[in-house]
Amino acid sequence: MLAIKMLLRGWRGGQLGLIFWSLVLAVAVVTSVALLAERVERALVNQSSAFLAADLVVSSSVPANSEWLERAAVDGIRTARTASFASMTYAGEQMHLASVKAVESTYPLRGVVKRSQIPFATDASVIESVMAAPQPGELWVDSRLLPLLNIELGDSIDVGDGTFTVSQILIEEPDGGSSFSMYGARILMNWQDLPVAAVIQPGSRVSYRFLMAASDTDDGSQFARFSEWLGDELTVHDRIITPDEAQANIAKTMDKGRRFLLLAGSIGVVLAGIALALASHHFANGQLLQVALYKSWGVSARRVRQLYLQQILALGAVGSVAGLIIGWGFHQLLLSAVRDWLPLDLPMAGARPWITGFATGLLCLIGFTLPALWHLPAQSPLAVLRRDIQVASLNSAVRGALGVITIAVLLFWYSNNAYLTLAILLGFAVTGGASIIFGLLLLRLGKTYGQKMGSIWRLALANLWRRKKPSLIQMAGFSGAIALLMIMTVVRTSLIDEWRWQLADDAPNHFLVNVASYELDGVKTLIQRRELNTAGWYSMVRGRLTHINDALPNEDLKRSHESLNRELNLSWTSALPEGNKIIQGQWWDSAALEGPVAESGGLAPVSIEEDIARELGLTLGDQLRFSVGGLVFDAVITSTRSLNWDNMTPNFYFLFPEGYLEEYPRTYMTSLYVPSDKKLMVNELLRKYPTVQVIELDKIIDRIRSIVTQITRGLEMMTLLILGCGVLVMFAAVSLSMSERLQESAILRTLGSSKRLILGVQWVEFSTLGLAAGLLAALGAEFAIAMLQHFMFDQAFTWHPWLWFVGPSAGALLVGVLGVAYSRKAVTQPPLQVLNSL
Amino acid sequence: MIDVSNISKQVSTSEGTLCILDQINLSVKAGETLAIIGSSGSGKSTLLGILAGLDTPSSGTVMIGGQDITAMDEEGRAAVRAGHVGFVFQSFHLLPGLTALENVALPLELQGVSDALKTAEHYLQRVGLAARVTHYPRQLSGGEQQRVALARAFACRPTILFADEPTGNLDTGTGEKINDLLFALNEEEGTTLVLVTHEKNLAARCQRTLELQAGRQIALTNGSQH
Repeated sequence: MLAIKMLLRGWRGGQLGLIFWSLVLAVAVVTSVALLAERVERALVNQSSAFLAADLVVSSSVPANSEWLERAAVDGIRTARTASFASMTYAGEQMHLASVKAVESTYPLRGVVKRSQIPFATDASVIESVMAAPQPGELWVDSRLLPLLNIELGDSIDVGDGTFTVSQILIEEPDGGSSFSMYGARILMNWQDLPVAAVIQPGSRVSYRFLMAASDTDDGSQFARFSEWLGDELTVHDRIITPDEAQANIAKTMDKGRRFLLLAGSIGVVLAGIALALASHHFANGQLLQVALYKSWGVSARRVRQLYLQQILALGAVGSVAGLIIGWGFHQLLLSAVRDWLPLDLPMAGARPWITGFATGLLCLIGFTLPALWHLPAQSPLAVLRRDIQVASLNSAVRGALGVITIAVLLFWYSNNAYLTLAILLGFAVTGGASIIFGLLLLRLGKTYGQKMGSIWRLALANLWRRKKPSLIQMAGFSGAIALLMIMTVVRTSLIDEWRWQLADDAPNHFLVNVASYELDGVKTLIQRRELNTAGWYSMVRGRLTHINDALPNEDLKRSHESLNRELNLSWTSALPEGNKIIQGQWWDSAALEGPVAESGGLAPVSIEEDIARELGLTLGDQLRFSVGGLVFDAVITSTRSLNWDNMTPNFYFLFPEGYLEEYPRTYMTSLYVPSDKKLMVNELLRKYPTVQVIELDKIIDRIRSIVTQITRGLEMMTLLILGCGVLVMFAAVSLSMSERLQESAILRTLGSSKRLILGVQWVEFSTLGLAAGLLAALGAEFAIAMLQHFMFDQAFTWHPWLWFVGPSAGALLVGVLGVAYSRKAVTQPPLQVLNSL
Repeated sequence: MIDVSNISKQVSTSEGTLCILDQINLSVKAGETLAIIGSSGSGKSTLLGILAGLDTPSSGTVMIGGQDITAMDEEGRAAVRAGHVGFVFQSFHLLPGLTALENVALPLELQGVSDALKTAEHYLQRVGLAARVTHYPRQLSGGEQQRVALARAFACRPTILFADEPTGNLDTGTGEKINDLLFALNEEEGTTLVLVTHEKNLAARCQRTLELQAGRQIALTNGSQH
């Protein structure tokens, strides 16, 4: 086929390389990100189930309905029941209020229980992962229970009325992260032992869970039908927990990582698109004489169109396939960076990433290459005789619009995120618009002031003005690339900064709650003696929200938020706590407020967290009634706040002014970092102060930290790939005017100009272009970053003064070096050879 | 072979209408050689473009092989060019990415000739470049490049060959050799040759010479040599 032959010859002649590689890179970027996203997504769904120990859980204050069990058995749904409660445990003289979980033998339905024969084991070789529960009569216990009760493995302890053997050390249970150990050491026991222990009495505070998982043969439809049926059976006591919720604590980090990946991928596609557009423009210019020749030989316009279309399609197919292969390779590389927290048998991706990658290739060619070549068939054959005759290329406004539409379609299709699409497009519009307006102005200024400078500057700046159209196209290309790279760097840096607390070695990993006033000094001394630091002590009062605007909350509302069904932690402070932000209303001026509410008899001002306000439909001015140990008081909402739940410091839904709750019985809470070698402090604390509750977050934090580290590593690799795209754009833009420049340089050389003058002119021309492009890029990047931070990454807008310095200087240096390196040929080869090669 | 009657060409410029060709009448028989001469800007290349169907006159008709190409659209003229016409240009117009052989074979391939490469090789032999078939244009001298261009033009077996200043870019010695080759091939192939030149001695080798001055036909004479 002639088109293929022509394509191969064109490839050999070096005219197609840049188009091909731009295309390959666009497809590779999209494919790698799409493959990674889909596989990780699938793995996370599986993994989330593991963190829930099931595919779906109903959490309840009452045991699972027997009808559910029967129906599940009929439908082939696997089930396990668990019951969690606090119970005193005894061994001789020693006792401890432990957190007990009774599980059926089928537990866990998903994920594994990690156990060991060695207390405090951290070495993986002595930790066993099993899909099993303790046998009746046996207990698997937290390491720290052993010193607390002064026992060893194999000893017996009493739980309620029963005596059980401690047979294993419980290192981790799959759903351990979802229910923090509020009452000290964890114990796993068999469900059948519940009657033996007889610890559950009417009125006992027990948290029941009904775990469900699809059978291995189920394609999901049977499970979906069962879940739907179950949904209708639930009562006000029951709450469904999905795998997503089970992972809520890391979901945000992962989500931002995913968004960054998308952003980086989108930027990669746009960069590759720009490179493709520039390369195609360059290619089309080089084809004009060729087409004129074809037509002088009698080849019809239709045949010319056909030949180019066939060539582009073939190039697109080969480039896309190469891109898919390279994309696969790169996704493997990215995977290796984030491997550790993914399961070994990562699910394979479906067809979608491949289709997305291939379609990107075709779409890029349609949007960027075809418009650039569109005019070729209309080229006049007379151009073989008269160089001045040239067919007008497709209107640059039309081409620009087509390019923008393609970018918009690609961005939206790929990211499925309107904000991201809009932010990049607007950033682009600002950079593009500024390139035309300010670019012309800058070039004009350069030309005017260049007259007064030395010969190199005069010549270079005059050249830029003379070639203003290609100069502007190059400037737009450079500034687009620089802006996109800056956007990516800024977002990446700010994300990593935001996660730094999670990466920080001393982030609080334990909460101490329910510290009574008389215990406070003792607890503080104990902590100080262990050389540990708290995040500050907060007072709190336990109270129930009973009325909203003088009415009892209805059942629907009670179901919408658990805060109406339990005691809440009410606290007070004069200053807005760190990480809190007023969304509506005003923070109080403590000096202007009166004394304790009980004394004043008036309404207490209350500041409430924005999410709970939204869920309960509360607004400023609404009145709330609280009951604290039977004592009732009313409050009025004076402000709503947003909180940073990630900072691991105490946070409160309801805050009152200092002193307002003075009259009510209070306890204290704090958060602190306990390194693993000082973990026994928790035992000492609990032994001395049995009523203090310790919430242990160290395992969860370790997990988040490892995930964040790996996601960061993944982001770094992605950044490298995108940098590659940026360099390609630079190459494409530099090569755009190169033959004309080489020709001029060769002529200057023939006329006896020095090497210094020729390279000097190139250096000044390119670095001026780079400088102007960098400046415009800073403008566009600042604009796009503001949008992205606001809409996509939920961050506050910040100025980036360094962009305005780094953009222009990096632009001048990079573009200057690249341009001079490219045009060195003009001085290293004899002028005639240069002219002949053009 | 070519019949030209009353062709004129005007173009609009900012200073009004400019007449480039004015009432040209001409007839060229099959196998005949015609030189179009005149000073720069006299309209030689414009006339050549119109005769070859690359351009259209403002008025008048051009018949090639009995077909009125001035009444045709671009596609029609392309078909006529494909069937009858070959070109040689002053600046050779070889494609830099293709070897000498591929340059010669390209128009044949576009015409769908099955043994294009073989034919191309044969014509390169005829112009004395058998040893340079794999060379790229940049590796060839100006004379050699024009010989490749001649091979490319004749390989398509055109009935009419249009040559635009074929030796304009070459030194006198090389130019002479190229002229010799052009006329030799022309005679062997029995091609009608229309060439534009400002060299009197090249024009003199043609059977007839049409002289233009400011777009007007001032003389149509028989050449001094054959």
